[in-house]
Amino acid sequence: MLLKLSLSSMRKLAKDYMVLLFGLTISIAIFYMFETLAQNKAFLEANSLISSIIFVFHVGTFILGIITVFYIFYATSFLLSLRQKELGMYMTLGAKKHKITQLMFMETFFVGLTALIIGIVVGVGLSYGIAELLMWQLDFQGGGFQPLYPSSLVTTILFYIALFFLTSIVNAWRIGRKSVLDLLHSGQQQDQVKTSGLRTFLGVVLSVILIAVGYYAMVNIAELMEFGIILATVTIIPGTYLIFISLLPYLVKKLKQNRNLNEKGINSFTLGQLRFRMLNLMMVLGTVAMLIALGLGAMTAGTSFYHNIGIQSSMFHANDVILYEPNNSEKEMLASMEVTKQQEYRYKVTSEGVYFLKTDLESDPPEVMTFEEGSEGFSPTTPNATLSEEEYTLYGGEGMPELPGNWWTAISTELGAGTMFGNRSLFVYGASNYQEVNGEEHQVILAQVDDFTAHLTQLELLNASQKTLAEKYTGNQVEQLGGKYSNYVALKGFASGTIFMGIFLGIAFLMMMASVLMFKLLSSAGADVDRYSMLRKIGVRKTLLVKSIYRELFLLFLFPAIVGIVHVVIGMQMFSFIIIEPYTKIWIPLTLFFVIYGIYYFITVQMYKRIVLPKQV
Amino acid sequence: MNQSVLDVHQLNKIYGKKSEKQFHALNGVSFAMTEGEFVGVMGPSGAGKTTLLNVISTLDTATNGSVKIAGTDITTMKQGQLADFRSSQLGFIFQDFNLLENLTVYENIALPLSLQGVSVRKIKPAVESVVAKLGIESILNKYPVTISGGQKQRVAAARALVHEPALILADEPTGALDSKNARSLMETMVHLNENHTTSIMLVTHDPLSASYCERILFIQDGKLYKEIHRNGTRGEFHQDILDVLAQFASPDLG
Repeated sequence: MLLKLSLSSMRKLAKDYMVLLFGLTISIAIFYMFETLAQNKAFLEANSLISSIIFVFHVGTFILGIITVFYIFYATSFLLSLRQKELGMYMTLGAKKHKITQLMFMETFFVGLTALIIGIVVGVGLSYGIAELLMWQLDFQGGGFQPLYPSSLVTTILFYIALFFLTSIVNAWRIGRKSVLDLLHSGQQQDQVKTSGLRTFLGVVLSVILIAVGYYAMVNIAELMEFGIILATVTIIPGTYLIFISLLPYLVKKLKQNRNLNEKGINSFTLGQLRFRMLNLMMVLGTVAMLIALGLGAMTAGTSFYHNIGIQSSMFHANDVILYEPNNSEKEMLASMEVTKQQEYRYKVTSEGVYFLKTDLESDPPEVMTFEEGSEGFSPTTPNATLSEEEYTLYGGEGMPELPGNWWTAISTELGAGTMFGNRSLFVYGASNYQEVNGEEHQVILAQVDDFTAHLTQLELLNASQKTLAEKYTGNQVEQLGGKYSNYVALKGFASGTIFMGIFLGIAFLMMMASVLMFKLLSSAGADVDRYSMLRKIGVRKTLLVKSIYRELFLLFLFPAIVGIVHVVIGMQMFSFIIIEPYTKIWIPLTLFFVIYGIYYFITVQMYKRIVLPKQV
Repeated sequence: MNQSVLDVHQLNKIYGKKSEKQFHALNGVSFAMTEGEFVGVMGPSGAGKTTLLNVISTLDTATNGSVKIAGTDITTMKQGQLADFRSSQLGFIFQDFNLLENLTVYENIALPLSLQGVSVRKIKPAVESVVAKLGIESILNKYPVTISGGQKQRVAAARALVHEPALILADEPTGALDSKNARSLMETMVHLNENHTTSIMLVTHDPLSASYCERILFIQDGKLYKEIHRNGTRGEFHQDILDVLAQFASPDLG
């Protein structure tokens, strides 16, 4: 009988249960998504640029686990608050306490299991969809990645069953501890505001110290290695939560104490709302900040690796295009790009060797990348040595001197002559000696374009036709040509696995962040309905109420975003030993984040407005 | 002194569309209040008391008829204007206090002034003067959850008074108070009415609370049923009220 009653009341509260189920489902789906990567060791090791990737994922699982435990405990306590009044009523009607306790246990567990089933399905679907999309976007094969990974499935199921079992016991215990009257009047309980000065102060100091230590560990990750990752984890997580527990309520309190601000218009109400929310939101805001840090961090790292490919491939090549024996279609394609510099050199080919004309090289020397002491890194310069001899070889021998200084680089790297002509020897000859060489004369074009990555499609076609030419000269299959484009392709092959992981996890974490914040704000909105209807009665215009909602939620969204972004910006230092410029184009993931976060803020405001604002004002 | 503060003329409120079964919550109610009057509205449940109060307080609209408060006809105003009107001309005291529990007592009382854009410099003296009238100076920095019901209702009264509205509307203000606190609150209201010429309209079920008024309007089935004035002591008036209520209970004898 009691079960039947309870089922019918669950139907009545369908909307609230949907909110709860949605929150749990997303959490499970994300956890599973993360585990498909984390437990697929073969995939990780084959596709990562970071040597300790398995370890990083272990730490990641740990962090996500903590966040999940917090979140699930919070979410299921929402179930308790939904049901306790009704369960109290059953008790006044004669239901025994152990029955009620049992019922609460069953309900929590049942909701958890339902969420688990849906969550796993959604998780597999999301893993599949996002992975496909990213692989297609990144042109990444991703061999070994399995959206349906049995071991991850088992972990997720066991982890959540244990977690739901635990939360069910806690819920049952909490309801068993309360008296009938407590249960009946649970709706009228009000939040207590507690802020003791000393505790706040100690909390602020401790959080600053913890975060400072964590930042130190991240900045010096090159020396601290795996210990640094652990140190950063165990300091930054509690530090972040502490900020929201101590510093933020303190800031809002200070804001409220400014009478000029507080007593203007509806500010006192907005700030009062915020202060009360802070107190029951601090854990959620801390979680959101951590998820933003993780999600945005993973995404920024991913895109940073991506941009790193461009930077790294430019590191050794000053020129973007090498065209030997350019035919008309190749010339047309070159003309279709924004060429900023173009040079031409003549050479002769025989069966034994390739002979470059010295006067061409001297009159318009090709740029090479040189490392300069005291500067940031490599920069393009023209070769500094003079070519006083009449004959040079690239590798020395045959009684001829070796090419001096960075002329060597100019021929082998910039002109990519080594891979083009196979086993032929390479020479640079003065005009008279060049005349005497009995071979076909050809031309090679070196060009620089305005934006290398903007012309990848043309570069790919040029690379293919040059490869055919090289195969004609070498008589063999040519795997890879010299030159910037080939270098780019090779680097991309190495990095795309890491980029894939970064963006995949970034999406997962940001989705979880969205569900956590939305769940919290909407599940507590019911309590605000009375406040807004009261304000309406004393004559507050609707526009003013709406303004207050926008402001309040804006601040709630702002704080975790700031903390999360600061974590990310400092955290990118971790990659500085493997990425040349970790902050290049950091505005891209940041902008993307702000756009998504902004849209999400706007949606939440609309949903919140629909719940709390009186129908007619 | 004899200026009209409230003028209700032929007020009708009909619930339900024309095609449906209609319910006449108010059926041609007319009465007036002059400035400084303390008027009670009584009647059995379902008589239309709350509807009357809602229409006068601009929270609900009349089907037809007019309501003038301090010379302004509120039945023709737009929603935004009504909100402004409420915040400047009306003060509310509710049975369940309706304090904002996320604001301190001081902030609750100051809110109507803040909303009207009164300068911060002027807010403090205004709040201090009104809390002195109500004797709640000592709890200004507390939150509503930590004070007693009687204190809460005084805070609500202070909030209703702080912006010096033309009319105070009190809806069962003693409903959630014990008899001692109820009596004390009513005495305060009489004090405000007599010494500060505050116009008060009180809706109540409680004959004892009603006996503090100068005049009582009885409503039944959406119509003004009877009106009695206080001529003698409060005790006698209380008896008069009980007599009228007895007629409600057994209408055949009336």
